[in-house]
Amino acid sequence: MDEFDRLFDMDPGQLPPELTELKPPCPWKKPMGLICWGLALITITINGFGLNLLLPAVGAVLLWLGLSPLRRENGGFRLAYACAALYAVLRLTVVLLQATPLDGRLAGLIGGEWNTTTGPAPVYNVLWTVALQFTLVLAVGGLWQGLKGVFRKAGQKPRTAAAGGLVILEALLLPMALIGLEGWLLVGPILIIWVCLILSLRKLSKSLDQAGYALRPTPAQVSGKLVLCLWLALHLLAVGVLPLVFARLPDGVHAQVQGEGVSDSPLRAQLLELGFPEDILGGLEDGELVRFEGAYGLKKEGYHDPVGSHQDGMPSVVTVEVPVRDEKYGFHTVYLAHLRWNPGEASGGYMEGVQIAQDIQGVTVRTTQVEGVLKWKDSAGTAYTMPLDFWFDTDNAGTPCCYTNFSLPEEVNGPTEAFLFWEAMPSFPETVHLYNYSVTIAHKRSIWQYPYTLPSDVLTAGFYSAPSWQWRMYRWTSEGQMAPEGKYDPRKY
Amino acid sequence: MEEARLVRALQTRQTGAMEQFQTAYSPLLRYIIAPILPDERDREECLSDVLLRVWDAIGSFDPERAALTTWLTYLARNAALNRRRANERRREGGTLDEAAPDPADGPEQSLLKAERARAVWAAVGRLGRRDRELFLRKYYYYQPTVQIAAESGMTVRAVESKLYRIRKHLQEELGGELHG
Repeated sequence: MDEFDRLFDMDPGQLPPELTELKPPCPWKKPMGLICWGLALITITINGFGLNLLLPAVGAVLLWLGLSPLRRENGGFRLAYACAALYAVLRLTVVLLQATPLDGRLAGLIGGEWNTTTGPAPVYNVLWTVALQFTLVLAVGGLWQGLKGVFRKAGQKPRTAAAGGLVILEALLLPMALIGLEGWLLVGPILIIWVCLILSLRKLSKSLDQAGYALRPTPAQVSGKLVLCLWLALHLLAVGVLPLVFARLPDGVHAQVQGEGVSDSPLRAQLLELGFPEDILGGLEDGELVRFEGAYGLKKEGYHDPVGSHQDGMPSVVTVEVPVRDEKYGFHTVYLAHLRWNPGEASGGYMEGVQIAQDIQGVTVRTTQVEGVLKWKDSAGTAYTMPLDFWFDTDNAGTPCCYTNFSLPEEVNGPTEAFLFWEAMPSFPETVHLYNYSVTIAHKRSIWQYPYTLPSDVLTAGFYSAPSWQWRMYRWTSEGQMAPEGKYDPRKY
Repeated sequence: MEEARLVRALQTRQTGAMEQFQTAYSPLLRYIIAPILPDERDREECLSDVLLRVWDAIGSFDPERAALTTWLTYLARNAALNRRRANERRREGGTLDEAAPDPADGPEQSLLKAERARAVWAAVGRLGRRDRELFLRKYYYYQPTVQIAAESGMTVRAVESKLYRIRKHLQEELGGELHG
């Protein structure tokens, strides 16, 4: 005991009167405050500025920090502590996954949809919701049992109705989320009850003043502020940095140096005569040109603007429709969508996606999957080609479409071109039918995005549903016809 | 409300009131006494003293002037400190040297010491809420640093460094009167 200590170690009668009016310190005040704030922040959802991620992250840590000093008190608190830690880790895992393409891949692997009143939701998302909410219910349940244990230890009647009510309410939220119950008439009263329960839980620390003095808290090994800062830093890292790693789709992996496959064949001359755009024809190799063997008509729509008056990052689109004679069906129509990015646009892109949707009116038609290839030249003048992988899927409206995702090459000299081919064969080849289709292009404008979204996801949601300013979309629609030789008239439609 | 009913029951000497009081407030009394008296037997005896004092003095307790917990804390702290001093005196008395000068302060010294203490407590009153709470836990309730750390959600090291800074601040404010 030094001089300083001795000074305070005086006769109580010598103390100033205000010190005799001091309220005793409460060992419950801090943990219960942290727990209540934690539960509140976990449940509050504020969209914007990333608060929908950060607030629950802070809440999860506060809940964990609040339960940390209580964990050795009894089994209930131990369970609550373990579940709070698990909850925080699960939440971070969700944030990490959503920053990477892995989330989409896992969702695809699990597949399936869960029908709610607000529409179908991927089973993958539903599983996460169940895991998170179930862990939270267990944490609150553990807290309830832990509090009861403290009252029992002090030989007092448990006054833990608020904690019990909170368990029931949190458990109720799970089926509500699964059914998809929404609307203020339902959510409003639940929110009010929830706020009342949280406030009661906060007040509980006062009644624990009596029973809770038997508590022996566990000392903290690490500062709470440090834990909170580290946890937030991990979240910010996941949200801010991980998407940068996956900002571009792998390009150039399948790129090949383009061979000398262009020759002066009679087919080229015939197509030119039919009106095939010369610049596009010049980019087609002989192997690609074979598709047009037996052509008896041609319709071209659109034009390429050499000065680039298109929107930032968007290609210009030209579509060519060529009916060709066919031994099996009598005829079929070959479609070519030619996309061209001007040099400045091509190097600035992060992710591109193309959706080809067919709107066939009054005709049963068999359509082949779209085949595509990207072509460009580097600064040394070497020509490259890269196949584009298309797949069939329906969009959210149920229309069958073909999709592809890719990133434009970074080092280009001159325009980058995409040649997309597909063929349509009518079931009744003797009659003339309308054949409409659309080419929709999605372009990601920013290197940053969270959650990680592929252009095909944006395209599936619909042309008018660009999720944010980071996306730009462009739709080119074309109207054509499917008609046998002699009846085909490109001036019609 | 329950607190007021219990106080009335004690004041009117109702049967079972003291048992109820003991169940409700013994944890608090033990909480205050424990850091001051390290010996378990001392603590139990002190608790009995406090309960007896409550039984005797409850009639003079005025809920308008102070909360029951505040009053109980005051009683428990004083009782524990008095017992600790008595124990210390007893220990010192065992090796008492008749020729040694009286270690007790003279009236003038006591007055000076009390004045200085009041100045320090006034400076404590000017501390921020958290700092004051931490300081009082250590120097008023005599809680060990480990307990303060656990209950405040801080590490022992953080509490020690915080207390060091508070002491330093108080020393500076009091013009270097104290040398810790």
